[in-house]
Amino acid sequence: MARTKSKIVKKSASRKPVRKAAAAAPPVPPVRIARVAKGKKPQYFSDPAIDKLLWMTMSLMEELSVTRDRLDTVERVLANKRVLKVAEIEGYVPTESAAGERNTRRAAFVDRMMRAVHAELDEVTARGAPDGNDDAVAAVSS
Amino acid sequence: MKDPARYHPILPTLVHDERARQDFVSTLRRHLTGRIVPGNAKVYAARVAPRLRRDLGREPADRHEVRHAMERDPYYQFWSAMQRRSQELLWESVLEPTERDSAAMQQRAKALRNAGRPGIATSAGSLTLDPALKVPRYHTAVDIHLQPGGYHTDFGPDDLSAGAIYDRGIQIYSAGSTGPLNDSMGRMMVQFYREQVPGAAPRCILDMGCAIGNSTLPWAAAFPAARVDAIDVAAPQLRYAHARARAMGAAVHFSQQNAERTNFPDASFDVVVSHIMLHETSRSALRNILAECRRLLRPGGWMLHLEIPRGKTVLEQFQMNWESYNNNETFGSFITDIDLTEQAIAAGFGAERTRAVDYALHRPQEQRLYSDYFLWRILIAQR
Repeated sequence: MARTKSKIVKKSASRKPVRKAAAAAPPVPPVRIARVAKGKKPQYFSDPAIDKLLWMTMSLMEELSVTRDRLDTVERVLANKRVLKVAEIEGYVPTESAAGERNTRRAAFVDRMMRAVHAELDEVTARGAPDGNDDAVAAVSS
Repeated sequence: MKDPARYHPILPTLVHDERARQDFVSTLRRHLTGRIVPGNAKVYAARVAPRLRRDLGREPADRHEVRHAMERDPYYQFWSAMQRRSQELLWESVLEPTERDSAAMQQRAKALRNAGRPGIATSAGSLTLDPALKVPRYHTAVDIHLQPGGYHTDFGPDDLSAGAIYDRGIQIYSAGSTGPLNDSMGRMMVQFYREQVPGAAPRCILDMGCAIGNSTLPWAAAFPAARVDAIDVAAPQLRYAHARARAMGAAVHFSQQNAERTNFPDASFDVVVSHIMLHETSRSALRNILAECRRLLRPGGWMLHLEIPRGKTVLEQFQMNWESYNNNETFGSFITDIDLTEQAIAAGFGAERTRAVDYALHRPQEQRLYSDYFLWRILIAQR
């Protein structure tokens, strides 16, 4: 495990020697704390890829929860400042053009999310790659 | 309302998303413990145990047979993987604000160390570090509880990070059951000691493996006339503990020492106590610590060690040992099979004055860990 030690940057002192010399106390450098615990991580599923996927899913859960909390904060701060009423958001119906733009963006998002599934289908259709990597290797090796 | 995440001023500040991350981890863990964990016993009864009995032709003999069978069950697997990840997320959510605020936190601690607090002499309490002390291998082999860097790693000069991370970490880990001052275990042990020794007025108290001193402070508060010492092998915990005690108005003498062999003279203390320390040590360390307790106690003095319960049935024992295998608590599994009373007697305590007691606290479901009945285990002996 990498345990990074804090680095004291001394560059600025040489660039501005006069001003820095007058400073009362040197600033305390922030620490760099390790992110991963030492010790063997258990494998929970038959395929380690599933372990990684669950790991990522739970991180996404966390960030989605954080984003919802932040949005809630923004709405409440704006409501307190009388910039908006939360009821206005709940009752918002998009105009025709806004709805169109939204639908396009949402469909593109679903497309991106489904690419892993589409890719498998692509392999068995005309656009797909043949079995193995022979063609690609042949194309570059001569 | 006082912010629980900043119940004293040394703790790192939190910006919006840092707080939201910690809130998420709390909610997630409450769900895992309150809603998913109870399902483990159900899938065991419904499909794992019947199959295991069929395969073995008998009842499972020990927790290991239960564990090997459960580790193949998809419900248990998925919970286990999520529980592990929630522990990693817990530390991440705490260490990031600690890192961001580390420089300011050091300044706050330094100001308190130099100035003390109104009404408290600057000489109240002390901090003695021993840079030559060798941190034992049972601390350094793996990072206990998955806390990155463990209890003992300094990430910079005069670092307090590991202490700050532990302080906020155990609040989230315990789902608030450690109370607004993170001291429920210390308060429980003081109460237990008073029940055992009515009218007790100890003059000298030692807390072993004190970490951030969260369980030490109730002893100082309960017995204001006593001198309270607290030891640990981890320097960043002690630096933080000292600043934290100052911030909370307590006088404790912290020193960096190994509980297996301290530098206190024989018969120095009326009480030697530890709070869930023994299961983080080793077989030989356990023997050494109990012998050291006997050496340090005055005749008539009391030894008290709080321990994690390890369950009665093979299923409970399996459940209570999840952390031994999944949360870097390696000695937890060993201590499950060790009779603490026998160990204390072997260390020289009289058999008639030594016993291990089950002690129950009633908790709401989301604060229960791996069993319906969380019985603490307390080893108590009189010198």
